[in-house]
Amino acid sequence: MGAGERPVSAELAAAERFLFLEARLLDAERYDEWLALLTDDVHYWVPGVENRNRTDAEGPFAPGRMAHFDDGWTDLQRRIVRFTSETAWSENPPTRHVHVVSNVEVEPAEREDELLVHSLTVVHRGRYEASDEALYGRREDVLRRVEGELRLARRRVILAHNVLPSKNLNTFL
Amino acid sequence: MSLPPPAALVDVERGTVDRRIFWERELYERELERIFARCWLFVAHESQLPEPGSFLTTTMGEDNVIVARGRDGVIRAFLNSCPHRGNRVCHAERGTARGFVCNYHGWSFGLDGALRGMHESGAYERTPGFDPAEHGLLQVAQIDAYKGFVFATFDAEAPPLADYLGDFRWYLDILLDNDDGGTEFVGGCIRSVIACNWKVAAENFAGDALHAGWTHDSGARAMGGASVPTLDGQESYQVNVNGHCWEFNLDLVGNAATFGDKRVTKNLRVREQELAERLGPLRARMIGAISSATVFPNMSFLPGQQTFRTWQPKGPHHTQLDTWVLVNRSLSDELKEAYRKGVMMTFSPSGVFEMDDGENWEYSTRSNAGVVTRAQKLHYGLGLDSRIEHPELKGNVFRSQLNDANARAFYARWTQLLEADSWAQVNDR
Repeated sequence: MGAGERPVSAELAAAERFLFLEARLLDAERYDEWLALLTDDVHYWVPGVENRNRTDAEGPFAPGRMAHFDDGWTDLQRRIVRFTSETAWSENPPTRHVHVVSNVEVEPAEREDELLVHSLTVVHRGRYEASDEALYGRREDVLRRVEGELRLARRRVILAHNVLPSKNLNTFL
Repeated sequence: MSLPPPAALVDVERGTVDRRIFWERELYERELERIFARCWLFVAHESQLPEPGSFLTTTMGEDNVIVARGRDGVIRAFLNSCPHRGNRVCHAERGTARGFVCNYHGWSFGLDGALRGMHESGAYERTPGFDPAEHGLLQVAQIDAYKGFVFATFDAEAPPLADYLGDFRWYLDILLDNDDGGTEFVGGCIRSVIACNWKVAAENFAGDALHAGWTHDSGARAMGGASVPTLDGQESYQVNVNGHCWEFNLDLVGNAATFGDKRVTKNLRVREQELAERLGPLRARMIGAISSATVFPNMSFLPGQQTFRTWQPKGPHHTQLDTWVLVNRSLSDELKEAYRKGVMMTFSPSGVFEMDDGENWEYSTRSNAGVVTRAQKLHYGLGLDSRIEHPELKGNVFRSQLNDANARAFYARWTQLLEADSWAQVNDR
């Protein structure tokens, strides 16, 4: 059976529903609802990506190196306190976020109640009258079924950027 | 419209700064020549170059350089640009190598920057007068280290690093020499771009305690559940030496507490007595206090959070921020990890404190696009009468960290360097 004929699996449809909902919540800065989509033991990781030669055994990113995010649930919750604080002056007027999610693929994960989900993300931020450079990243997520609902248990986003083309990351990727 | 000389743009006595210094291309070009091609600039921490063959690439002004540890163990810095057609010879930001080979014509250079050979080298061997020894990568004029921090300058006439830093070394020792094992960077580097003039950022770390409680209120609430404490009325200071600036109070852990990690603050409290024996009780209480510092022109750091960074100029309106984390080598792995995570959460592009700085700095720069706007002078007059003599503190000392004294000293140094034709005309100050 060719790729074009492959029926959309129930798993793929469920994963897409999850990712699209998540993107919509992030666009609308509905952070508490977003946080509720994560498992308590979530690991949310956006490592810094270094320019290293192909032969360099240390690779462009690794655990323990500097990251944009290397967060557990409590860290994410703290960031949300900052995002939603009345004194987060630079969030007012609000940023106009667009989280584009594409190229979704689903594979079995190690655990039976989990899915390994690949996707691409493009994040646009319009701020005041200007637009930040778009951010591009490749995600690798683990979605876990908890009481019948999918939850994000692990996310790794590998950015296509070495020097982040922006002053900050006032969103999640 | 022609610009007045730099000395007419900064009025240290009255405390005013002309906004054009943050905008004009002509002044920026002069900064590249007279500040960045002349001053000692931070290029590496020795821990980033652990063994022969270790290298990294960075910029001095807009000049890209390779910093490499040779087979002989010596750290050198040289231009990352082939003397044949000018192409960059190393595109990796760090790693280990035996040398550097240009992608264009295969000119190859050793870890010491010397030309070793090239593609079709026979053609050159038959070229009269071609001497490979004359065609290495251009070495910096001077390179030296202070307690693990490697600095370089393109100016052979620059004073020795020890004199350039002067008595500021006494302050740097608080972070670089509070433990026998020395220091290291952990975790590598995060890099980002801010659409601001580089001085807006360097000045902020030099002496802007005022913004902390206002700009960073949301960050402080997120990490510690409370606002930054009121700084007015506390014992605090601004000090500067040769344009190098440090503002601080003596609360021991005020900066460190922003990690919201009791292990970090506890470690400093436990060490206070030991630190007092080594540094004296006053410097001991600066170790993690509410404070910030800039080594002129463009390396800044925060004691307590231990973020070290450079503000790399990328044109008059853009700055590349490179951020590292400094820890004592002897620190436990658990605490090193706490610092890596703490910096990431607070002062990196995703950090809940850093996030608000960039927005302010971009519009402090961008507003000057307006010709009427940039014709206005900015107020730098806070604490004009605050200079004091202090029995212990070195350099120029000012009462209260809520002060523009360090910003004035930073711009006084900036003016002096832009006006001077050579280092012979630059005084210690």
